Amino acid sequence: MALPLSYPLRNLVHRRLRTALTVAVIALVVIATTLFLALVSSLRRTLVSTGDPRNLIVMRQGSDNDGSSQIPLDAYQAVRFFDGIAKDAQGEPLVSPELVVQPFFYRPDGGRENVLVRGVEEQALAVHREVKIVEGRMLVPSQGEAVIGRGVAMRYAGASLGSALKFGRRTWKVVGVLEAGGSSFESEVWVDARDLAADAKRPVPYSGIRLTVADGADRDALIRRIDEDSRWALEAKPETAYYAKQAESANGLYTLVVGLAVLAGVGAVFGATNTMYAAVQARIAEIGTLRALGFSRGAVLGAFLVESVGLAAVGLVVGVSIAWPLGLAVSNALGGIGFGAVTFSTNVITLRVGPFDVAIAALLAGLIGFAGGLAPAWRAAQLRPVEALRKG
Amino acid sequence: MKFFPFVWRNLLRNKLRSLLTGAAIALAIALVCILRTMPVGFDNFLNQLATNTRISIHNTAGIVYSMPYAYLARVKAVPGVVSAVSWTWFGGMVDKDKGVTFPNFAVDADTIGDVFADMKISPETLAHFRSHRDGVLVGRMTMKKYGWKPGDQITLVSNVWPLELSFTVSGEIPADQDPRLWLQREYFIQAMREKGVEFDQAGMIWARVDDPNRVPGVMSEVDTMFRNSDAETATETEKSFFQNFFGSLQGFVTIILIVTGLVTLCIVFIAANTASMAVRERLRELAVLKAIGFRWQLLFGTLVGEAALLSTAAGVAGALVSLGLTRLLGAAAGWNPQLGPLSGFVVTNAILVQALFLAFFIGILSGVVPSFGAARRSVASTLRDVF
Repeated sequence: MALPLSYPLRNLVHRRLRTALTVAVIALVVIATTLFLALVSSLRRTLVSTGDPRNLIVMRQGSDNDGSSQIPLDAYQAVRFFDGIAKDAQGEPLVSPELVVQPFFYRPDGGRENVLVRGVEEQALAVHREVKIVEGRMLVPSQGEAVIGRGVAMRYAGASLGSALKFGRRTWKVVGVLEAGGSSFESEVWVDARDLAADAKRPVPYSGIRLTVADGADRDALIRRIDEDSRWALEAKPETAYYAKQAESANGLYTLVVGLAVLAGVGAVFGATNTMYAAVQARIAEIGTLRALGFSRGAVLGAFLVESVGLAAVGLVVGVSIAWPLGLAVSNALGGIGFGAVTFSTNVITLRVGPFDVAIAALLAGLIGFAGGLAPAWRAAQLRPVEALRKG
Repeated sequence: MKFFPFVWRNLLRNKLRSLLTGAAIALAIALVCILRTMPVGFDNFLNQLATNTRISIHNTAGIVYSMPYAYLARVKAVPGVVSAVSWTWFGGMVDKDKGVTFPNFAVDADTIGDVFADMKISPETLAHFRSHRDGVLVGRMTMKKYGWKPGDQITLVSNVWPLELSFTVSGEIPADQDPRLWLQREYFIQAMREKGVEFDQAGMIWARVDDPNRVPGVMSEVDTMFRNSDAETATETEKSFFQNFFGSLQGFVTIILIVTGLVTLCIVFIAANTASMAVRERLRELAVLKAIGFRWQLLFGTLVGEAALLSTAAGVAGALVSLGLTRLLGAAAGWNPQLGPLSGFVVTNAILVQALFLAFFIGILSGVVPSFGAARRSVASTLRDVF
């Protein structure tokens, strides 16, 4: 016969200070782990969520980002008319030639960062369908107008709708704010490609091309067609693959964070074990009585394990409910967490504790509770009723 | 000290508990040490790299904006400038699939040694670099990573320029944490010329000033000289340059500091928990000791000493663990373009000393509250409770 669930749970309330201290330890480990995990997963989410599976990115062979690539004008004019590219209602191909430059932007504290400024032409919004102008309007070409990402608006001095923003060699008029589902486009500024080429004195007007593959067209054939054209040494790849590659750069960081979390978790296991041993020690007579009443070893073992896992569960709830607002508060206070990507440009990340981070933290807390409770519960179960009663 | 055996015996009384507490504290201290290496490495990196006489001159619009190479001669002519060198990102990759694994730049062979005199590159190495068009100077970190030796032939594929060039390693830049590689600008220009491109730009310029006091004057003179030109410049000290360069890491550093603080708090709770358990168990015996004449101050001292001893011993163990772990980490991670100077993972002596003091104070802190109450409790009430 099993012990009623209320027995282990009410025991937690019995020794208040000890329970509180252990819960605090587990909660702190949960907070630390969740914050770290949230940092890395927010970064990953930003990069992985960028890009459309139907889009291709075309760059010079060997370029790993569009900031370092260059594409001649005639290449763009030829690729535009390749087969398999989607067309809009007017019959214009969905091809967006783009120029990427990374000028300095200044944070309110005076520090500067490289921000990705994308020079675009009229098809940009048709190709980047996830990008929406949420405030103001899209820019008009050759007027020195700029549309800024949500992250840019959050982070940099003077970056707001209607303001005159100085970057590169000139001052630009901010006419709109764009959002793109939290992806890295929100860390970008969009201006007219020709305005930007003139400002950055780029002889080659484009750094890359983004295009949309027509429904039902053979994507791989189009990629081969572009890759094998011997005139320009271009390389096409799916947009999602391009951003996934950038997200890989966070993998090393991820391993590091998980390693540190495990280290902290093991420490917490020792702490929990200690508390549970003390709980067993203090209740030897009680355990003897329970055994004498006929509760099996299994029932006693179970009860102590439930007590320990319950301890961890309380710690988890406390930890997560602190980590969640703490993450947001830190993120807001810093104007987003800046992260320099491989491309040299800064990604502005909103630190958000996601379900996955909580799941990992829950797993860790569960392990802490289980591993911490196992040995003491085993010992409690092994006590012989007669001796236990005498000792108490 | 007379009571040290007493404290020691008390610690060993419940070996399992001391071991568990010690292990928990040790791991937490190890974690604190490892986390501290990142912000500390950042500061050290700045201090190590940054001299107070070197200035960076770059386009005011951004690092990726270039400036005419002709600026170099004009900067050299500014009074107070000892020497100047141009600096152009090459973007060379050893392995195309891995991308750029260390920063590499095309520099002027004749002045690089003068401008970076503090790097203490050996004269033979510099002479080799100057006299071999395909020579490269390589930071010790990258030399080690790829197992290169002076005289080795290496090939780099640029991901910025349409070039694939072979080089001969001239020698090392003797700094353990230095990942950089420098190649000759002349070699780079000629290779570009063969591709039909006349490259007359420079990414940025580094200049060395003869006297730290003259630095501000030189800086404003350079910027004034290029005002209203095609490429206006922004000049700054080396330290401010690197601070800005890695400025976007500040957010990350903040998170690391917060987590370090949380872990420290965690240790306090673990230690306090144990101390309170130890004291609770011994109430009867404390009362007996007091009844036979020991003063409460002494008992208080031994209890706090016990907590401090355990915590400090655990701190030592934790510090050792962190030394081992960071060595592993350092070997595995290497130069990481995302983390930059944060990925040094070097536990400095300062970090070790701080960790030990931290452990000691946590021990005292955790012992004080439960011990004080126990030691002050009146004998009569305790004995009545327990008998």
